[in-house]
Amino acid sequence: MAMIQASDKHSIEVNLPSKIGYERIAIASSAALAKMGGFPVARIEDLKSAVAEACINAMQHGNQWRLEARVVVKMNLSDDRVVISVTDQGDGVSEVPKYPGIKKIIEENASPRGLGVFIIQQLVDEVKYNHSFDGGHTMTMEIRLPK
Amino acid sequence: MTQANKILLEQHGDVTLLDIRGDITILSESSLNDAYADANNQGAGKILLKFERDIYINSGGISVLIQLLAKTEQNNQQIGIIGLSDHFTKIFNMVGITKFAKLYTTREDALEAIS
Repeated sequence: MAMIQASDKHSIEVNLPSKIGYERIAIASSAALAKMGGFPVARIEDLKSAVAEACINAMQHGNQWRLEARVVVKMNLSDDRVVISVTDQGDGVSEVPKYPGIKKIIEENASPRGLGVFIIQQLVDEVKYNHSFDGGHTMTMEIRLPK
Repeated sequence: MTQANKILLEQHGDVTLLDIRGDITILSESSLNDAYADANNQGAGKILLKFERDIYINSGGISVLIQLLAKTEQNNQQIGIIGLSDHFTKIFNMVGITKFAKLYTTREDALEAIS
């Protein structure tokens, strides 16, 4: 079961099982937070897709779809930005996979691995990866209000 | 939880329209492949994918669509897409889907251009 809790005035934390579909809870929560911050619809749509991809990556590649392994999504709203961190219980990856491009997938049967990260990188203003020594891997994304 | 898609096939002259209901995720794989196989078995040379406007599409669903585009390439079929929101139009451009499938605003525009 997913759990939602507010950790401070402008922060929300969502704790999800690694099962496809539960990412929608994080999507809805982050969209609501960005709406409260006055973000325009187009940027909220960008955020929703980025959160979806980060959660699915965490469930699939981090937690290997183990239902008992959790994905923790922390969301913080400040004056001009939303910062979202997505933490799994995996070991992370030594190298972030690079999207090969559609021509290589279609014409050379390349794997589409890296597509989710590619989408995130295109949609947010900043993305960082962090490996914790006590276990877990975190992707942090920042999306800012357009000036 | 996410359900498989309902997909209706319509014939418009020489264009086979796949009217796809629901979100596009990895769970769409079997329903999309089955619908494409039905269209292919009917000898479709031109295919139009119609999505509902306010759906959720993620990378798993985009991967399924890319695999479908690979099949249309192999079979020399022309393919178009209608019904996308502005956001997913942007994403389809971003990931390169529009190099293999043309996006149209309306069904009429698409049928006129493809037929």
